[in-house]
Amino acid sequence: MHTHTRSLLAALVLTLFCSTLALAAPAAAASASVADDKPVGVVQAVRPPLLLAYGDVDIWDENGRVIQKPAPGEKMSTADAAAETPDPLEGWNRMWFGFNDKLYFWALKPVAQGYSFVIPERPRLWVNNFIHNLGFPVRFVSLMLQGKPDAAAVETSRFIGNTAFGLGGFADVTADLKPYKPIPSTEQDLGLTFGYWGAGNGFYLVWPFIGPSSGRDTVGYAGDYFLDPASYIHPWYWSIAAKGYEKVNEVSLRIGDYETLKDASVDPYEAVRDAYLRMRFKKMND
Amino acid sequence: MKKISVLAGLLLLTACLCSPAFAGEPLDRLKTGVDKVVDILSDPALKGAAKKVERQQKMRAVSDSFFDWRELSRRAAAEHWAKFTPKQQDDFVVAFSELLQKTYIRKLDKYNNEKVSYLKEQIEGNQAFVNTLVAMKDKSIPINYVMIKRDQWLVYDVFVEGVSLVKNYRTQFAKILVKESPEALIQRIKDKIKALDEGKNVDDAVGKDG
Repeated sequence: MHTHTRSLLAALVLTLFCSTLALAAPAAAASASVADDKPVGVVQAVRPPLLLAYGDVDIWDENGRVIQKPAPGEKMSTADAAAETPDPLEGWNRMWFGFNDKLYFWALKPVAQGYSFVIPERPRLWVNNFIHNLGFPVRFVSLMLQGKPDAAAVETSRFIGNTAFGLGGFADVTADLKPYKPIPSTEQDLGLTFGYWGAGNGFYLVWPFIGPSSGRDTVGYAGDYFLDPASYIHPWYWSIAAKGYEKVNEVSLRIGDYETLKDASVDPYEAVRDAYLRMRFKKMND
Repeated sequence: MKKISVLAGLLLLTACLCSPAFAGEPLDRLKTGVDKVVDILSDPALKGAAKKVERQQKMRAVSDSFFDWRELSRRAAAEHWAKFTPKQQDDFVVAFSELLQKTYIRKLDKYNNEKVSYLKEQIEGNQAFVNTLVAMKDKSIPINYVMIKRDQWLVYDVFVEGVSLVKNYRTQFAKILVKESPEALIQRIKDKIKALDEGKNVDDAVGKDG
């Protein structure tokens, strides 16, 4: 096993360990207080659903599908339920959210701005295509695991087409080609695959450098790591450099999005959390 | 006679074939609003930093006739809305819409001829849902609108990539309102607006690139 793989695993285990510790403490406290009041088993979730408790029932979900109500009194769409993913590590998460925020404004954004000042937008879009094309294994494996062979086949032909006729993936020559019949979205990864299988988010988790995630998506991310060709670049620091460059290129095309969300919100941490959980939920079902 | 019936039949057929092209009222209304915004943003007479104030005033006028700020605010405050006094409700609507306009009009300033396509419209009672797709430089982003019929159809919620504007704020507001009074929340929004006005925002540093 390479050194960097080992250190990655170590970091993963450490954070999961810390999270479990922090997770266990309030849970233990809660169960203790519950045990005082009533015998276990009679206790129900007393807290009413926070959202939509005020009488306005949504007609449509985020995609415009009429919301089916499985049980009377159940007023939340499934996306709302996903957005209600618990956040037991809020203090810990807020700390890393602050860290990532500073990382963005002090390092990532200035670098991306300098980079986009030197390199015009079009070449940066080519690089973006190239990186996206290289991410093919993640999408292919995820689609196969989700039992969507037709979408996986389309994704494969896009990969072959772009690699062979799009100068190794720098041009997205297959972008305008429509599949013969409609296919589900091919933008999938392992975290979404676990979700597609029925796994819940577990809990919300913010990682340094990586950003918002969840228990489920963290496991998926670790799996995606092994499917990403950039992870296999040999001296480990070149692998890190390649991933860093990917990030800078991506950010250079998105400067301003995070700023708007942050400016417009009264609690940026909550705004990002809600947006992350809802976006992931939509991607999973697309 | 035969000729006339054939002609009538053809006319009817044409009418049937064309009818999908006539969109319903909500979609038309949305389209007019979006077109107005695009017109302002691409008007050469309003281009440039010098015309920024004038441009933003026009945008505000359009968005005021286009959004139901009260409905939007009420839904964002959700079950806490009843705790607001009528005066607080009014103040909240004013402050919240101000914050939204300030930040999102500035964001729209970076509009660069992205094309909007209108996909689908559904009407149910006095509410409507419109699906649109905006083609960005490297991908298309679904933006959906929920509208309500007042004198005219007005937008009260926007979904961008599955994220509801109203619900995104509902989570934030709920968190504050369980601990603090409505007055404190209004003050927080006002503080945020003040900070943005004083240039403590992060966006102005972005410049024209990106």
